[in-house]
Amino acid sequence: MAAIAIQNLTIRFGAHVLAVDDFSLNIHEGEFVSIVGPSGCGKTTVLNQLTGLLPPQQGKISILGKQPREGNPDLAYMLARDCLLPWRTTLENASYGMEIRGAPRSEAEPKARALLAQVGLAGFENNYPKALSHGMRQRCALARTFALKSPILLMDEPFGALDAQTKLTLEDLLLQMWQAERRTVVFITHDLAEAVALSDRVIVMSARPGRIIADVSIPLTRPRSVKALQKSAEFHEIYTHVWEQLERSIQMSGAPPQLVD
Amino acid sequence: MNNVKHAWRWQEILGHVVFLTGFIGLWEFACARGLLDATFFGRPSGIATFLFEGFVSKPKLWLDLGYTLIGTTASFVLGSLLAILLGLVFVMFPRFERAADPYLTLVNAMPRIALVPLFLLWFGLGLGSKIAVGTSLAFFIVLANTVAGIRGVSGDLLTLTRSLGASPRQLFMQVTLPSAVPVIASGLRLALVYSMLGVVGAEIVAAEHGLGQTLAYMQSTFNMDGVMGLLLVLALLGVLVTSSLTRLERKLLKWQ
Repeated sequence: MAAIAIQNLTIRFGAHVLAVDDFSLNIHEGEFVSIVGPSGCGKTTVLNQLTGLLPPQQGKISILGKQPREGNPDLAYMLARDCLLPWRTTLENASYGMEIRGAPRSEAEPKARALLAQVGLAGFENNYPKALSHGMRQRCALARTFALKSPILLMDEPFGALDAQTKLTLEDLLLQMWQAERRTVVFITHDLAEAVALSDRVIVMSARPGRIIADVSIPLTRPRSVKALQKSAEFHEIYTHVWEQLERSIQMSGAPPQLVD
Repeated sequence: MNNVKHAWRWQEILGHVVFLTGFIGLWEFACARGLLDATFFGRPSGIATFLFEGFVSKPKLWLDLGYTLIGTTASFVLGSLLAILLGLVFVMFPRFERAADPYLTLVNAMPRIALVPLFLLWFGLGLGSKIAVGTSLAFFIVLANTVAGIRGVSGDLLTLTRSLGASPRQLFMQVTLPSAVPVIASGLRLALVYSMLGVVGAEIVAAEHGLGQTLAYMQSTFNMDGVMGLLLVLALLGVLVTSSLTRLERKLLKWQ
């Protein structure tokens, strides 16, 4: 069974704006899939359909065989900004998701501590977010997300606001955490290199209305290190290959050539 | 570094002492020489005598201070509670807020001191009318901040929490309320000052007790030492209540 099956999803805002057009995608269990596209192409809109935060639209979506619904425990959502609660300490933020989902404190706290140690935040448990750097905040958000038992992780440009160096470090951290459990990941980004380095499959969307213009498998072996890949000829070859495919799709679809910003 | 900073603060304190001594000395000197009319401006030695008598040797002012403080506290608590409750109702029912808004704006635009004659009739010469004026001032400040605070909650935090399957109660208790608290708190600080303003203002118009009432009495009997002394007390009181609230706020909101 597919972890996520989307069939002919079409999303309109109001009567005139067609945001996403006839979007179909199957994602297998344990697969790491990135959706790449220019700003405003409807990537986040698709994700919000999966979470059930937006009302259902034309088309069919199934998540582990069930319809999307708000608060689906099968999903863990990680947003673009770190989204830490400023009045909670690092530890309280890391256990926030578990707490809202009803985990008892005796279970949530040790798990949050363990995950904070795993993301390199040991010793910062009692700090408030204002005292953390952007990278550290996003580490805490990673801990909060992985603390949930959900088999599917939805990540909406989680590293979009970070500087290049921190970004590589956190991408590696994510891969390392993912490698241990192999949950299904849907990863939204506008950075093609990031998508290629992390994913098993890269889905490329066009500018509005968002359509799938390429679906590329990434044959790089696992486990990977994003930092090591930067120097790998194979990675650059695959990146170029995807880029070329992209350019061809753009020419065929006639979309403006502004895929990576 | 620390030492330099410390030395600086010492010099600052010394500066203030020198300035105040000079200012008071000049004032006293000018009155003694007849350059300044003490009938209109009071004189430092007279003010000191008045305050010493009022608070120490014939302690009558404590009672007035008590009345003013009780009035201020009651106005602050009552006005803030009502405002927070109505603010919550407004956020839950935005259409009700839209309907009520023009009337509230109209009432809030009224100079509150102008309502004192009416409140005196309704609530009597005692504390009741003072609390009514103070409450009517505190209420609108806290109301505006409560609504703004709750509206200002981050959409991302709500999205995240909803995606976790939070109940409306959890959303409110975990996200909306804590994020509104700093805005409400700064409204409360202002409301405390305005509560005192309302109470003292109403006391000046008509009262049996209170610092405002005493102030008006001193003024009508041309006791300028008394007027100046009471102004000093009121200023110090204002600083004291707001700074204690600020300290409390900082303790409660240490995450900011």
